Amino acid sequence: MLLRLILVGVLLAGASVGYLWWTRQQGKVRHVVVAGALTPADLGAPRGQRATLVQFSTPICAKCPPTRALLLRVIAEDPSVSHVEIDASEHLDLARRLDIMRTPTTLILNADGVVVSRMNGAPSEAQVREALAEVPPATEYSI
Amino acid sequence: MSPTDDIRIDPRGYRFGALVTLAIALAALLFGAGTVGLIFMAVLTAMFIPGATVGPQVTVQSFLFRTLIRPRIGPPTETESFRPPRFAQQMGLAMAGAALVLGLAGADAGYYVFAALVTVASFLNGVFGFCAGCEIYLAFKRATTKAA
Repeated sequence: MLLRLILVGVLLAGASVGYLWWTRQQGKVRHVVVAGALTPADLGAPRGQRATLVQFSTPICAKCPPTRALLLRVIAEDPSVSHVEIDASEHLDLARRLDIMRTPTTLILNADGVVVSRMNGAPSEAQVREALAEVPPATEYSI
Repeated sequence: MSPTDDIRIDPRGYRFGALVTLAIALAALLFGAGTVGLIFMAVLTAMFIPGATVGPQVTVQSFLFRTLIRPRIGPPTETESFRPPRFAQQMGLAMAGAALVLGLAGADAGYYVFAALVTVASFLNGVFGFCAGCEIYLAFKRATTKAA
């Protein structure tokens, strides 16, 4: 019986240690860095929940306002996608970093802010929808 | 499922109930796979049945809490849903039942394994308020209700 008491004591002590370890893991700050992601700080605006359309424009670009209008119209009914327009001439570092060669150039970001596709030049509506269809759908979670 | 469908229970009562099952499980574990131990294990198994079928609020343990402890400490400040604890009671029933069956069949090692499991679970719940079955229930819910 004494041996059993000791064994049970060891068992419960081990369980206590396991529990204390578990509590230390709860709520731990874990830093999340996704390589190549564009942050809201980079963009100067919050990202969309599922996707973000980042349009680089310049003041002398004739096709840029119609492209903006087209993009906004396509995503109007989808609250999980947002549109950000960036003046490439004012953000040369960002334009260089992302290899913007002409305007309009539209980058499609996924939920993490990673560029998954891009359209160089003015896209058609079908091309915009095609690009958005490739981004994974918004997920619903429990808990 | 609206919050009003959920039966809310006093978490202190559930934790006290774990201390009761801990006492019985310890007795079953210490007395071993002999007659005395098996009787304790049978009692423990029976004690899990109401909780596993209806919920922790109808167990003998909760009755003891309501009559002996609760009048002395007043009503709870927080309540929790009965669903995760009910699942934990189902796990307790499964473990105690397995220990009982294995003990009756002469598989002593199996008896001790399951008796130890239900003892550890009751211990963590009663002493630290950590309900392992509840965590498993929530993980199971997370895994099965995610929609693509």
